[in-house]
Amino acid sequence: MKLRTWAFCLSEANQNLLRNPVLAIASVTTTAVSLLVLGVFLLLSANVNQIANTIESQVAVRAFFSQSTTPAQESAALVEVRGWPGVRSAKLVTRAQALSQLKQEFGNQGSVLNSLGSANPLEDSLSVTASAPKDVSPLAKRLNGLTGVVQVSYQSQVVSRLFNLIDGVRVVGLGLGILLVLGALLVINNAIRLGIIARRREISIMRLVGATESLVHWPFILEGLILGLIGSLVAAGVSWWGYGAVYSSAARSLPFLPLVSPTPIARDIAGILVVLGVVLGAVGFRLSLRRLARV
Amino acid sequence: MISLRNVSKVYPNGVAALRGVELEVSKGEFVFLVGPSGAGKSTLLRLLFREEVPTSGVVQVNGHDVGRMRRRQIPFLRRQIGVVFQDYRLLPQRTVVENIAFALRVTEIHPREIKRRVGQVLELVGLTDRSGAVPSQLSGGEQQRVALARAMVGHPLVLLADEPTGNLDPQNAQEMMRILLEINRLGTTVIMATHAAQLVDRARQRVVAMEDGQIRRDELAASYSEEVVR
Ligand SMILES: Nc1ncnc2c1ncn2[C@@H]1O[C@H](COP(=O)(O)OP(=O)(O)O)[C@@H](O)[C@H]1O
Ligand SMILES: [Mg+2]
Repeated sequence: MKLRTWAFCLSEANQNLLRNPVLAIASVTTTAVSLLVLGVFLLLSANVNQIANTIESQVAVRAFFSQSTTPAQESAALVEVRGWPGVRSAKLVTRAQALSQLKQEFGNQGSVLNSLGSANPLEDSLSVTASAPKDVSPLAKRLNGLTGVVQVSYQSQVVSRLFNLIDGVRVVGLGLGILLVLGALLVINNAIRLGIIARRREISIMRLVGATESLVHWPFILEGLILGLIGSLVAAGVSWWGYGAVYSSAARSLPFLPLVSPTPIARDIAGILVVLGVVLGAVGFRLSLRRLARV
Repeated sequence: MISLRNVSKVYPNGVAALRGVELEVSKGEFVFLVGPSGAGKSTLLRLLFREEVPTSGVVQVNGHDVGRMRRRQIPFLRRQIGVVFQDYRLLPQRTVVENIAFALRVTEIHPREIKRRVGQVLELVGLTDRSGAVPSQLSGGEQQRVALARAMVGHPLVLLADEPTGNLDPQNAQEMMRILLEINRLGTTVIMATHAAQLVDRARQRVVAMEDGQIRRDELAASYSEEVVR
């Protein structure tokens, strides 16, 4: 199509939007809100993931040796474990070290341990940290199979609770996002349908005087794209700017919280939201195609 | 130019609007399509610009098999056919000039050429001085002349008019008739479906009379009703 034909389609699309400003505003608002919820969910889930990663990788897996294991066997095991994939670090903790550590942790109440006298009930162990949370449980299993190891323990409850939390956030956020996106789709589709009904006469005259179907369609496609784009720009802007603000205030008041830096992620999510908005507009148009054919 | 061969049309509701119609119209002819309401006149016209497809038979316009034409070619057929209806079908929010130019804007013609042609047809229908008015400010006769100008602005080979004077008073109807004959004189083939016996009788053109979806009479320089044998 020629440039002035595009201009023609754009002015027709604009007329549609202006003829029904309430519906246009409703479309933009629902699109913006639904995409914003989606954006917030994405940011939240990225952060929960990051926090979980940090905590998780700090959790050490302990593999305890039987008392009959020789020091040579233990150091051989250490060398082997260090060679495994998914292992960040591994060190040997002798029973003496373990006891003094325990005494240190008890601090003032360390006297309780004095009753043990010279007996040390603890065992030598390997303390292993994983490079990623997903490596923790296979690592524990593998350590269990090591010769001389009688017991493996790690704080699996913390880990599984975190995973549950992440899954919960994911399900709720995604469900809410999808529901709202469907709502936005419905509203955009409705705006386009009403535009088609309002312009029935114009459409039938266009066809009568020999307009191609693409010329009949484009004003409505543009209408959908404009609605989706404006809505998504609002959502993208708010989530980008808003996350930046949250991040910098968190950095000030909660410096220990390992939030994801906004520079790549908030920008990427804003981009995703804009793309989604445009797709919403296009799908909103596509759903009304049959109505358009029946004019 | 236009030919219908053994054309029948049965609507989805079972009404047989046309039954075995045979018709030939040559380039430059003027044809009145007459007959009682429900005879099938509008249906016949609708087949010519592919608003409907024939149930059987062949409809040809300017060498194209209109009934079997591919969907994407329909717009190009319609650019060669001008159509005027009883109810004008103008865009109420647009001026006379915009209404007429609308037909050319959708065909991607250069704006300068559009302006030139709109000026021409405005003159043809005698509305040059009303070019800035919107339809609600015009009389029925003027509105129908705008519709006629819009139909003619693309320089169609054929002009189809479905009861164009149906809503007009006798004076406006006569003016309309005068312009239609002028358009025909300038070379455009015209087919006009009508009930207006007086107009038909005065024009002395070819008359095709229909009844019950069939052609009953097809005479040159004829009148609305069958003339008594002289
Ligand atoms: N779209 C349609 N659907 C069903 N029946 C129709 C339709 N259009 C016309 N008809 C029927 O076809 C017959 C011919 O109608 P029409 O071509 O409009 O006749 P005319 O224009 O001569 O009055 C009538 O019986 C009419 O009721
Ligand atoms: Mg009719």
